[in-house]
Amino acid sequence: MKDKIESILSLAKAKIAEAADENLLQKVRSDIIGKQGSLTLLLKELPTVDVSLRPEMGKLLNQAKNHISELIDTKRTELKLKASEVSPDFDCSVPGVMPMNGGLHPITQMCYDLNDAFRSMGFEVYQEDDITSEMYAFDKLNFPQNHPARESMDTYWLAGHDSGSTNEKLCLRPHLTGGSVRYMQTHKPPYRFVYPGRVYRNETTDAHHERAFFQYEALIVDKDITFTSGKVLIKSILSKVFGTDVPVRMRSGFFPFVEPGFEIDMQCQVCGGKGCSVCKHVGWIEVMPGGSPHPNVLRAAGLDPDEYTGFYVNIGLDRLVMMRYGVDDVRLFHSADLRFLRQFR
Amino acid sequence: MILSLSWIKDYVSLPDDADLNKLAYDLTMDTVEVEDVEYLGKRFENMVVGVIKAVNPHPNADKLRVCTVDLGEAEPKEIVCGGINLEVGMRVAVAVPGAIVRWHGEGEPVEIKKSKLRGVESYGMICASDEIGLGDLLPSKQEAEILDLSAWDVPAGTPIADALDLNDVLLEIDNKSMTNRPDLWGHYGIAREIAALYKLPMKKIEPVKVDATSDFKVEIKDIDRCPRYIGVEMNGVSVKASPFSMQSRIWRVGMRPINALVDITNYVMLATGNPTHAFDADNIEDHITVRRAAEGEKLLLLNGKELALCGDDLVIADGEGAVALAGVMGGAKDSILPKTTRVILEVANFESTGIRRTALRYDNRTEASSRYEKAVDPERCDQALALSLAFFKELYPELQITGFCDRYEKKLERAEIDVSLTWLAKRLGKHLTNDDIRAKLEILGFDVAIDGDNMHVIAPTWRSTGDISIKDDVMEEVARMYGYDNFESTPFTTSFEGAINQKDISLVRNIKEYLAIRCGMQEIFTYPWMNDTFVNAVMQDTTGMLRLSTPPAPELSWLRSSLLPNMCEAVMKNERYFDDFAIFEEAQVFTDSDYTSPYDATESLPKQRRNIAAAIASGTRSVNDLFREMKGFLAYMPRYTHMEGFTFKKDVKPVWADSVVWQNIYVGDTKIGDLGLVAKKVTMECGIKNLTVLVFEMDTTLLRPLISRTNKFTHLAEYPVTDYDISMLFDSATTWEEIDAVIAKKEAGPVKAAGFVDEYRGKQIPAGKKSVTIRLTIGSNEKTLTSDEIEAAAGSVMKQLTKRLGAELRTQ
Repeated sequence: MKDKIESILSLAKAKIAEAADENLLQKVRSDIIGKQGSLTLLLKELPTVDVSLRPEMGKLLNQAKNHISELIDTKRTELKLKASEVSPDFDCSVPGVMPMNGGLHPITQMCYDLNDAFRSMGFEVYQEDDITSEMYAFDKLNFPQNHPARESMDTYWLAGHDSGSTNEKLCLRPHLTGGSVRYMQTHKPPYRFVYPGRVYRNETTDAHHERAFFQYEALIVDKDITFTSGKVLIKSILSKVFGTDVPVRMRSGFFPFVEPGFEIDMQCQVCGGKGCSVCKHVGWIEVMPGGSPHPNVLRAAGLDPDEYTGFYVNIGLDRLVMMRYGVDDVRLFHSADLRFLRQFR
Repeated sequence: MILSLSWIKDYVSLPDDADLNKLAYDLTMDTVEVEDVEYLGKRFENMVVGVIKAVNPHPNADKLRVCTVDLGEAEPKEIVCGGINLEVGMRVAVAVPGAIVRWHGEGEPVEIKKSKLRGVESYGMICASDEIGLGDLLPSKQEAEILDLSAWDVPAGTPIADALDLNDVLLEIDNKSMTNRPDLWGHYGIAREIAALYKLPMKKIEPVKVDATSDFKVEIKDIDRCPRYIGVEMNGVSVKASPFSMQSRIWRVGMRPINALVDITNYVMLATGNPTHAFDADNIEDHITVRRAAEGEKLLLLNGKELALCGDDLVIADGEGAVALAGVMGGAKDSILPKTTRVILEVANFESTGIRRTALRYDNRTEASSRYEKAVDPERCDQALALSLAFFKELYPELQITGFCDRYEKKLERAEIDVSLTWLAKRLGKHLTNDDIRAKLEILGFDVAIDGDNMHVIAPTWRSTGDISIKDDVMEEVARMYGYDNFESTPFTTSFEGAINQKDISLVRNIKEYLAIRCGMQEIFTYPWMNDTFVNAVMQDTTGMLRLSTPPAPELSWLRSSLLPNMCEAVMKNERYFDDFAIFEEAQVFTDSDYTSPYDATESLPKQRRNIAAAIASGTRSVNDLFREMKGFLAYMPRYTHMEGFTFKKDVKPVWADSVVWQNIYVGDTKIGDLGLVAKKVTMECGIKNLTVLVFEMDTTLLRPLISRTNKFTHLAEYPVTDYDISMLFDSATTWEEIDAVIAKKEAGPVKAAGFVDEYRGKQIPAGKKSVTIRLTIGSNEKTLTSDEIEAAAGSVMKQLTKRLGAELRTQ
């Protein structure tokens, strides 16, 4: 009998180990310790066993039964952990479903990135209207009456408002700087603000020229500031926006509304300064003209240029975005073409 | 502007081994932007002088010849050529394999390779001048004429660049970067700047003295417009070619050599920046007068254009009338002709803005006018005169000066500026010693006198025509000479007060992010002008709109008073690729009304608002679904963007809207915008073929941002709250607003809220009726309601709906 118990026990162990699901496990249970199970039947034979062996055999039988029962329970828990609600051929490699397909315009994204950077340094964001007068577009910015820029920035004048004195002539703003004068006129110094907006030039368009494009001005006006402090500011801003340390350089430049004027170039982010077609193989990209506001501009804003001075930059947003993503045609920005716009998340 | 390095070196002792990339870099950083540095000789790589040893007919082509050419190598080469002037002994330009040429001077550049021409092996190409880019310098007289270099006595095999002395470097300067520096518009001026940057000696052009020997005179009637005029009458000149070296320089900086008389005037202008002109003296009656034109006075220009002048134009006139448009262009009458033997040379100074007005008036900007309009200093006439006379004497040894007159009526005042050294140090953010400052300015030609804190600066004449006028200009000069990039820059300091809190700016950003990120819309940008087609379709008429006087195109003149016409155009354009999409735009809109300006009493600006508009366009979903989606976007917008909530009413139908599906959007009592289905007629006129288009537009300036978040905490319900759905039949015309109003009256009791679940018309519903399913939220603050109590509460709502709106319980 002892042998029989042993063989039932080893068979049971093997079957339990094999059982792949709960049904098979249940079958093992009834086959061995169920009412007609092999071990149960053996137990029923116990009275026929020699009396001297009976206690030992009884003990062995019970131990075997308990052992099998435990093994089945353990196996059942194990099977439950492995079980799935779905068939095993469920394909987890199918792609996920895209959430709703929306996004901000890449220029808005760049503008917000800059806003965040400047706001983190205590700048206000200013916004002004698109239609302005010649007085604010040119006069207040130290453009002499016959200055070439009045014509070279071929301006969109408004019908019925395109002649007369400069306060009567209205146009779509050719640049943002006139708006900065409006800000200074209506706020108390010191100033620290940025001014994003769209500007307009009446010119022929091609891949690099647009009639409507975006500028981003930053202006600081305060007492006792040095004209080179802006370089640190611009470096911090660009490094925050681009996420890496962006080398910048500052060189001499000229614009009527600044004195002194400069150009700030940033290292080309497409080639890392090695030289490529985007930066015309010089490694640097001209991204922002700037300077100290000309004393006449400060005067136009009602400030005493002997007391106040400033730092000004004008960032070309379109160009910055084109470089950020390698966009090769500026006209795409106003195309409203979703095939283009949906590329920017 | 293109500058020749060898020419610059005429005036400054730049070392031969100077690093040109560094020169270009330093000029860019400190003075003007150098856009390109070109090694001129590179254009002629793999081109050599060949000597023709034999010319034989081509076996297979009548027009071709097979030439044996000595290229200075051990063996002569066979080259097939179609030139008509080939002769034995002739020196020619040969492009050997690797050279880049243009066939017949046209089309794309191609690389020369050894090849077979009509069955005969040809080593390279015997070139015409325009095939190797020399067409303007050494023009051919007829078709298929080979460039004859026999006049250059060089051995076979000499590189072309060496033979023609073309190993120069050309610097291309961005004109925009030097509009404020009239002194730099010439090789002499740039040389002076380089001399200052590198502390190199200048080779000055010294003024010359000329004795007037006759009664030759010049009269200036407007000394403000013509501060100085030098006239030199000369005998014994003729029209002939100028020396090749002069032609070559004129050509390499982008002009065309003409003849010696014209070339001298152009050369002097390119060298000194001061334009000069030569008149045929035989055609000048009486003496030269510089005066304003008479109104309507006629002048036939050199280029054949006849002008009717106005009183603002300055002319050079003789006894008979105007002979030249001063500072812009010479006239036809006195121009240099092949028979010319006597000339009057004009070396003059004209006031800048007048020249500019005249050049623009007749759309006739020339090399001369573009220099004068930058404001040239009158002292520069001295260098221009000296250089001109040197060339005249060199090219015409027989020349006699028969008349000379220098009328310098309005002396240039050198600009004098006082600068506080304390102020300078503060603005520079750096303390430079007085000696350092003095040295930096003196090398640029400034005179400097320092007395205590005051520095008295006198600018050189060439910087005194407006360029240097205030102390900030002086500071810029010091900073520039120190190098902008060499200042250690100190960061701006900040103060920790007045945190930035701009509700209106933040609100618009929140709305844009809400629409993009939560509502799945794509932001677009369109132009502020609209296409007539979409204006007519969407806006119906143009009342109150502004328009451009010179629009980008005739049909794009109207400025937008609404974002919707361009929105519809964007839908139309995208329909080609997408059949279900949502877009929005936030931008300024304009109306011809409410003129005002808070900034200047004399200014008057039209009403300008900022709108936000959106469209959902779908070819797959129903109007009902789209309407509810769009309205949901709007209804939940205030909640996610922190502003006062919206209400929707039918008050004034927007012109573009379908007759049924539209509402006006309100904040409080203020109408801020519209929402609706774009009428089928409108979408058809917009060229939208299959899409159903729902739009909204609102004025963001009327939105009311909340001061802070206004969420409120409510205690969690202590007793269970139950959702209880009821479905009732209503008249089909009954609105949810009416149903909701009835239930709202019962809400004080156990009915806490009522929500719209859905509505249904159709099978099983009697005609003229609709079934509406309403979800009641029922509960008590005091106890757990029994099911009887819940039923009773719902029953009471149903009773009210029956009583007030004639609703019936829906029986299955």
